[in-house]
Amino acid sequence: MIPGWNLALARVLMGLLWLYSLRWKLPPDFESSTETPLREWLELEVEHAAFGFYGDLIDSLVLPNFMLFAWLIFLAELAVGLSLLLGAFTRTGAAVGLMLSLNLLVGLFEVPGEWPWSYILMAMWHGTLLMSNAGHVWGLDGLRNSRKETQ
Amino acid sequence: MTETDSQQGTLGVAILRIVLGLTILFTWWGNISDDFYTADGLRGFFDWVFLSAEDGGNGSSLSFIESIIDNTVLRAAGFFGLLQTIAEGLIGLGLLIGGFTRLASLLALLFFSGLFLTYFGGEEWIWTYVVLMAASLTVFLNYGGRMLGVDQLLARSRGESPLGMLW
Repeated sequence: MIPGWNLALARVLMGLLWLYSLRWKLPPDFESSTETPLREWLELEVEHAAFGFYGDLIDSLVLPNFMLFAWLIFLAELAVGLSLLLGAFTRTGAAVGLMLSLNLLVGLFEVPGEWPWSYILMAMWHGTLLMSNAGHVWGLDGLRNSRKETQ
Repeated sequence: MTETDSQQGTLGVAILRIVLGLTILFTWWGNISDDFYTADGLRGFFDWVFLSAEDGGNGSSLSFIESIIDNTVLRAAGFFGLLQTIAEGLIGLGLLIGGFTRLASLLALLFFSGLFLTYFGGEEWIWTYVVLMAASLTVFLNYGGRMLGVDQLLARSRGESPLGMLW
């Protein structure tokens, strides 16, 4: 097993990563004056789709219902960020984070300037957190667990 | 000499190590194909890194890093390009096969920390380097070559490496 503090550090960093990345997808309009906003990223995924079906899905389903999906993405990333940062329901947070990372990998694979290995490494870290008790050190999962044991 | 518990490898760390090695090797090969490691390639890269975002560059903000690079790497860009080619290739190979993993992962950590500082404050998504640094640190601290790696054989046949810094 990887030592608990090492996993906890990785978990906290991944949590901060998701929370920091909310900057360009903040409600209510999901626009950003300083960063490439969410809608533009989705349009880039259509324009430079590595997998045709994925580009078609974004084009025909996500972009026409942008506000709904923007809220879903925002809430999912916020929940994953908080889960991993606080070590609360960490395996669930890591599982959703893994799916979000794989989604980013598929969607941004051929977008110019993007480095797909970033998302492969993110997926790998979330897989590691999913398979471990990363919330048991420096996390609320550990606190909940120790309370259960003392009862 | 026998391995202590903390020096025995784990599958999770071995997977981290292999993916990290593949990441470095694929990027290294792409950079070679793009002539990145030549004197002109390195100069062009650092010009872009420190050029303001308004002018189409990355807009990195740490001026002391720019000063260090100006006074070291860019003074002998051809030499540093060659050094970088050799070092990155060996680090990637070491991590992939789990050979001299402690040294390779420590060098990888230093390399990614350098990139983090170089890109800091600019357009580049800095978290890429945080993820890479976390993976390198984990592989280093957890003797990442002791499972599915050459280091496992080295540790069994030769015992611990000097100061524990090679395998």
